[in-house]
Amino acid sequence: MEHKIDLTELTLSLASLMSVTGHTRYSKDKLLELVSPYFDEIRETRLGCYHLIRRCGKENAQKILVDAHFDEIGMIVTEIKEKGFLTVTSIGGMDTRILQASEVIIYGEGREIYGVVGSTPPHLQKPGESGKLKDITELLIDTGYSKEELEKYVSIGTPIGFRPVYTKLRNNKIAGKGFDDKACAAAAIAAVAEIPADELWGDVYVQLSNFEEAGGFMSGAQTGAYEVNPICAIVADVDLGSTPDTKKSETVPLDGGVSLSTGPITDKRLTALLRKLADEKEIKHQMSVTAGGTGTNTMVVNLVRNGIPTVDIGLPLRSMHTSNEVISMNDAAAMRDIIALFVTSPEIEKEVCPNE
Amino acid sequence: MSETKILEGLELLKHLSLVFGPTGSEEEVADEIIKQLENTDAQIIRDRMSNVFAVLHGKNRPEKTVMLSAHMDEVGFIIKDIDGEGYIRFGCLGGIDSRVLCGRKVTFRGKEGDVSGVIASKAIHHQSAEERKNATKANDMYVDIGATSREDAESVLLRGDSGTFDSEFVIFGENDGYAKCKALDDRLGCVVMIETLRRIKEEGIELPFDLVCAFTVREEIGISGATAAAHRFRPDYAIVLETTAIADLPDVPKNSRVSEVGNGGVVSLMDRSTIYNRDFVDGAMKIAEENGIPAQIKRYVSGGNDAGHIHKTADGTRCLAISAPTRYLHSASCVISIKDFESIKSHVYAILTSYQF
Repeated sequence: MEHKIDLTELTLSLASLMSVTGHTRYSKDKLLELVSPYFDEIRETRLGCYHLIRRCGKENAQKILVDAHFDEIGMIVTEIKEKGFLTVTSIGGMDTRILQASEVIIYGEGREIYGVVGSTPPHLQKPGESGKLKDITELLIDTGYSKEELEKYVSIGTPIGFRPVYTKLRNNKIAGKGFDDKACAAAAIAAVAEIPADELWGDVYVQLSNFEEAGGFMSGAQTGAYEVNPICAIVADVDLGSTPDTKKSETVPLDGGVSLSTGPITDKRLTALLRKLADEKEIKHQMSVTAGGTGTNTMVVNLVRNGIPTVDIGLPLRSMHTSNEVISMNDAAAMRDIIALFVTSPEIEKEVCPNE
Repeated sequence: MSETKILEGLELLKHLSLVFGPTGSEEEVADEIIKQLENTDAQIIRDRMSNVFAVLHGKNRPEKTVMLSAHMDEVGFIIKDIDGEGYIRFGCLGGIDSRVLCGRKVTFRGKEGDVSGVIASKAIHHQSAEERKNATKANDMYVDIGATSREDAESVLLRGDSGTFDSEFVIFGENDGYAKCKALDDRLGCVVMIETLRRIKEEGIELPFDLVCAFTVREEIGISGATAAAHRFRPDYAIVLETTAIADLPDVPKNSRVSEVGNGGVVSLMDRSTIYNRDFVDGAMKIAEENGIPAQIKRYVSGGNDAGHIHKTADGTRCLAISAPTRYLHSASCVISIKDFESIKSHVYAILTSYQF
């Protein structure tokens, strides 16, 4: 199939936007500019999710929810110190071991300010200090401003994100910030945007949800799904990629394809059916087994209203919650293709709407 | 052959800082420096270990030799092993705090060109409570180049290949007063020497001594090419141009900060490798004061540099060190003040033209 959307380009465009949890409106205009050509209607929910709606044209059409969260981990300013150094705290599960010497953007009032996360040089450390990891509240961000000048743009609560710089690695892999979960959002958008309306079996609501990274309450996806009231849902989020220091049972390898979550909370029949259909279409996929919660919006979406049958799919990603997350665009393309399959397949429609 | 573009000031600093030159692989830096020295009157010598010397003979066959010295190498990485899944295990070239490694991008120089990667360890989701408190050791990290297997990785990189941080040159801060890059340690010193030689030519002066500008190799591992430089020229005086790690951060007491960014070049009294010649130090500070050039005395005994080798080679050399105060030294994001860069150039020129050697 010819793709009219360059998935890598869309992934990088979305990932580079500032969307630190709780501050997703910052990039609203840029987001709408990117996605509005492809959708019939865009709505914003009370809790800051965006519903990108694509209609199938049928009367009384069913609604299909495709969820990917738009928010990303980041930091906020807690104090402005002498010589324009900032202290911060994290939003979301920040991996503090990657922070020192990293580059950030401080999203100030009317000005985006470059900063470097400071560190004490080894020559000046006390014995034993280098073995300890600093708490995020002990780190300082160096802006190169005077305190007085900085206070014109920055205040307590100003959000900070990683500087968006992307690097190509081998074998169609890329490294950079914000792929969790905007790479999945890009796959969802690309999938839904490319399908002719009459091939959709229902109206598709791509939900770019908010508050996924904020302490696990996932309130954006929960209330957004309530508002849509879909017949079924597919939740797309990143999945922990295999590395030499992790167990194979807890991770999925990159280039292994899109992962399909299997466990107590995902819909068994839909998941099995999607797997079979993906085999037929030769979409590369793998199984990701979770004993309890998936750690994704599936945990809340499947319990909305009377319960929503939910499939949970994953994009393998290494170095999660860092400024250099690594994904394979081969897997991202597989994710796009499996979402397209989900919203077009008559077998899926029959499974969720047996009486029609 | 491409035409050499002569660059100046910050453009030259940016250009040289981005050149690949981890300890032991300084050849490309040497090539670039030689090109940039083209329009000076110095005689260029390149020795077997790739030290570069620019020699400017003084008036009337002078007796004395003064050496300026800066090192070309930067901290970096060397591939020690490539594992079965194509991850790169590395050693550090020079002293790098393991806490500034994880998450940073690196570039390895392979046989067919550069290979990008990210230094990684397991995701926070898989770290135990204990692991989250302690820094990961460098030898527990690996570089992810996106390889699919050992064979795939070995098609572009081999054990023994070297790498550096992958870091852009960024001008930032109030009034664009700061620069951030890898390798400012010590390409900044190299630029100061190049621009000093150019200024001597522009001003049309003849020095009353032979001046040697030594661009040296392997400073970062301490087994330094500066020893060979000092032995070859036996200078009476040497000025080591460096960057020095400082901690002018809030909450650090003044006496532990070493010095302050923006207050001029840092003149050392003593560090972990040298006790400097006090007359030379006092004379240099007096010249700064008389000329209204910002300069500051290093307030803390820390670090070391090529003066440690130069001052005790052959029958000894009187040494001075002037360093740019640098935040986050030996990381991907070294930060200097552009004002300090200018102050150091003025200070070095003033010393060469007015100190009684």
